[in-house]
Amino acid sequence: MPERKILAAGLLVLWLTLPGVHAQTAAPANPVDPAAVQALKDMGAHLQSLQRFRVITELSGERVLADGQKLQHSATAQMDVQRPNKLRARMTSARSERQLIFDGKTVTLYTPAQKYYSSVDFTGTLADLVEQLEERYGIEVPLSDLFVWGTPLAPLDKIESAMNAGQDFIGDDLCDHYAFRQGKVDWQIWITASGKPLPRKIVITSRADEARPQSVHLIDWNLKPAFGETTFRFTPPKGASKVEIVPRKAK
Amino acid sequence: MKNSSRHLFLASLAVLVLAGFALAPLAEAAGRGGGHGGGGHHAGGGNRNLEVNNNKRDVRTNNVRSTSVNNVNVNKNVNINVDNNRGCCNSGWDNDYHPIATAAAVTATVAVTSAIVGSIVRTVPAGCVPVNYGGYIYQQCGSTWYQPQGNQYIVINPPY
Repeated sequence: MPERKILAAGLLVLWLTLPGVHAQTAAPANPVDPAAVQALKDMGAHLQSLQRFRVITELSGERVLADGQKLQHSATAQMDVQRPNKLRARMTSARSERQLIFDGKTVTLYTPAQKYYSSVDFTGTLADLVEQLEERYGIEVPLSDLFVWGTPLAPLDKIESAMNAGQDFIGDDLCDHYAFRQGKVDWQIWITASGKPLPRKIVITSRADEARPQSVHLIDWNLKPAFGETTFRFTPPKGASKVEIVPRKAK
Repeated sequence: MKNSSRHLFLASLAVLVLAGFALAPLAEAAGRGGGHGGGGHHAGGGNRNLEVNNNKRDVRTNNVRSTSVNNVNVNKNVNINVDNNRGCCNSGWDNDYHPIATAAAVTATVAVTSAIVGSIVRTVPAGCVPVNYGGYIYQQCGSTWYQPQGNQYIVINPPY
């Protein structure tokens, strides 16, 4: 018994005297670390300043079956972007390939396998485009966050928890790792630590389902892409036919 | 007793360190081997000439529950108040798994349509109309809906 007491006292002394230990074990008063939010602001500002880029992302998504078992699926997307209003996205999986082309006036969704396309007139920025495609047609654009971070569409004042989670390598890039909570969503981001801040990995966990389905994006950047005359133009290939696009129905 | 446990600790530390050395070249090799970096040959689509065949897929893998949400964009899910369960796609640009039905719904569907939801066919009947809904192009054949998957079609519940 006395031995144990001495040990406990010794441990306490050790714990109190070790520099930094006390500060690290106590939970911070503010769950939102302002530096983590500032990192998002800096990244958003940099993203909005990029005039042209190509990103390639590999995505693992999850779906939860009736009994709670989770299945993971894979998809890839390549996005060619020229601000303010040009985009070509190619979304591919084993199940489908789709292309989304926006030339500043018309946005087209094309499925090469069936040679079907749907076009609608649209003017606005890429942030407007991703919002309106979702709102009007229920079409989600890959990595739409890249167009809204750094704009009023991505307010940062609703974040309930923000942490710096240390550093990680994503590929060859050393990244700062941040973790956030907001509503039913936990999410993490890995932002390049040196040079201009770019997101290299994003993980989103849903707490709306107890199985917590999660998506993982790995993102590769090309900031000097070679775009041609036709990169953002859609010309219906021979034999392609136009298909009516049905606006999203209210449930 | 004390000494022996310390020895054990040192020994396991040594094993860890040695294992670390042994593993390092492997990890490097894996990194160089392509992995996902740089968008290898298959990133962004590439040239897919391989025929995808889902004939052997268990029908249960389509039985996605309604609370399952595929969140693939942060702001859409935390800042824009989007109804994720819009009965269409459970969201996500990658989510081309159409939730087909629970067991009970399958039974109900059999009674009202000729094609069983979840069944896979190579061709659709004549007179079907392609419809783009939620960014996916389906074949609507009267009250029966088909979703293309690879070069086959799966019978789904009407998307709207």
